Amino acid sequence: MTDADKKLRDSQMILGLEEEVAPATLPDEGLDLRVAPRKEPQTPGEWIKDNLFSGPVNSIITIALTLFILWFGSKVLHYVFASADWTILKVNFRSYMTGRWPLEELWRVWLGTYAIALLAGLSRGISVIPFVFSRRRLVVLGLVAAAALLVELYVVTTLFTHALVAGLILTIVLGIYLGRRFRDVIPRRAVLIAWIAAYPALILLLRVGGPNERLWSGFMVNLIVATLAIFASFPIGVLLALGRRSTMPAIRYFCVGVIEIIRGAPLYTLLIFGVFVLPLMLPPQISKPPNIVLAVIMITAFSAVYVAEIVRGGLQGIPEGQYEAARALGLPYRKMIRLVILPQALRATIPAMISHFISLFKDTSLLATIAILELLRQARRASAALGFAGRSMEALLPAALLFWIVAFSMARWSQRLEKRLGVGER
Amino acid sequence: MSVAEGNGASNGATDMIVAEDVRKVFGTFEALKGVSTRVRPGEVVVIVGPSGSGKSTFIRTINRLERHDDGRIVVDGIELTDDIRNIEKIRSEIGMVFQSFNLFPHLTVMENITLAPRNVRRWPKKKSEEVAMQLLDRVGIPEQAQKYPAQLSGGQQQRVAIARALAMQPKIMLFDEPTSALDPEMIKEVLDVMKELAQTGMTMICVSHEIGFAREVADRVLFFDSGQLLEDAPPDQFFTSPRHERTKLFLSQIL
Repeated sequence: MTDADKKLRDSQMILGLEEEVAPATLPDEGLDLRVAPRKEPQTPGEWIKDNLFSGPVNSIITIALTLFILWFGSKVLHYVFASADWTILKVNFRSYMTGRWPLEELWRVWLGTYAIALLAGLSRGISVIPFVFSRRRLVVLGLVAAAALLVELYVVTTLFTHALVAGLILTIVLGIYLGRRFRDVIPRRAVLIAWIAAYPALILLLRVGGPNERLWSGFMVNLIVATLAIFASFPIGVLLALGRRSTMPAIRYFCVGVIEIIRGAPLYTLLIFGVFVLPLMLPPQISKPPNIVLAVIMITAFSAVYVAEIVRGGLQGIPEGQYEAARALGLPYRKMIRLVILPQALRATIPAMISHFISLFKDTSLLATIAILELLRQARRASAALGFAGRSMEALLPAALLFWIVAFSMARWSQRLEKRLGVGER
Repeated sequence: MSVAEGNGASNGATDMIVAEDVRKVFGTFEALKGVSTRVRPGEVVVIVGPSGSGKSTFIRTINRLERHDDGRIVVDGIELTDDIRNIEKIRSEIGMVFQSFNLFPHLTVMENITLAPRNVRRWPKKKSEEVAMQLLDRVGIPEQAQKYPAQLSGGQQQRVAIARALAMQPKIMLFDEPTSALDPEMIKEVLDVMKELAQTGMTMICVSHEIGFAREVADRVLFFDSGQLLEDAPPDQFFTSPRHERTKLFLSQIL
């Protein structure tokens, strides 16, 4: 290996490219690659000097921020481990997650969770993107795992539940293993279909023979409502966006009207409308649907008009030439939209779209206002109990953390998606 | 075909394209002021003219990217009307190459070429990919099949665009200034492909200012000025002894 090759490989390792580009193939292309001289790795002391104390202003900022972080961190640690009393969480954890869902029907929730865990593991397993164990990642994962373990050991009280949690983790691992093992056998499409089928299957599992919708509560309601609203509002929003650009005036004005009217109303108003006015519009033979169904309808409508506006932005970014090229090839309108326009328009809207879905997920806490016992409501109920007077911090923080975990996961997933679909971007 | 036989007698069954008194107005601007011409099968027609003269608009009316406001256009025996099925049928018989390539950036070269054959002609994947590879061979870039358009040079992209249009096995090819957006060293590779295509007997209409190309392969050269077809002559005559003053002036500016 020549010196130049070595340098090239070093630079690729730093960029994390060592797997994709084999240096041996480069000379075949007749390319003369030379790598600009790179500063040799520094000692930790040098790094600190260069990055944290490179000037008087930077030094002051560094010192001030360090002091703040130390002060705040010690406060947090002191609060979490010394002054807080987490009994309220221990007592109410099940009510946070599933609320008034009867204990003897809890197996339905567990079964559904296991199925999703297996599916998630499978998806990760068959994904071609390798999981890179960088040092930083391992440290973060280790810390998260330790924190999760701590919480689990504190919150879970029965041996049976411990076993269920352990089984859940094993199921994810099993899924990853199976996905890896049978990567070439399992068609990607099958996994996608499984994901699409999972939702109705889950609802059937929970509902058929299970508890009445009035008993659906806790964090699972936030998750179920948000998931349904997200996946239902997406296609509706896309259609509204296309309709808004239609050349047919009737369709165009209808879509513009729907979008502008719903977009102008606060979600809270829409929920109240859904619960008190919408049932009056139904034919009298139909009894009033449960609040959770009405809520899903209204949240979906609310989300759809935002999706429509996001997609409209994406559509405006597509040059006229793309439409012309598709038309010139004889593609009919629907195929042109489906095969040429939407794939490009939607890719451009991923960041805005995921942002919208994250905020929609958090908006599910508004369900509390129409008597649905979602997570936030459950947390506030817990803190209102007599024995826990003055412990509302301990009651609300875990709820906030749960919301944050899901929102953050969505954000990370969005980044992955962007990276994966970034290929061939002009 | 049956349509061609049906009304072939009146407009001459041998003509691939018939345009009669074609008019087009954008707002108050008259882009085409009654253009009439005929193109026989296998004929190569080059259109020149100053910008804004309506030459692009004219070839875009032939596959209905622009709707003509008045007059008649008959392509391969089918008259262009507002009937969308009719239009899609004609479009699938006409290949078009644009100045700015207009490849689909989210698809690979292979997917760009096979998109229309698979979704319009309903060919199976295997057949359409075989045809695509033959075409990529023909335009000289078979090794680029799995790349995305953004990874190719302008000349390569335009050759892919030609292959994409040819994949539908069209009877007519329209070229709308295919080399205007290219760097000089890439113009030749695209013109070579077009010359080869002309020699195989493809009916072609090219809006282009490549005089060398016009002299070499064109059967006729058309000169457009302010929405009118002013001159229509074989290349020798067109470039050496144009009849109109306007043509002379234009040629003096570009030659």
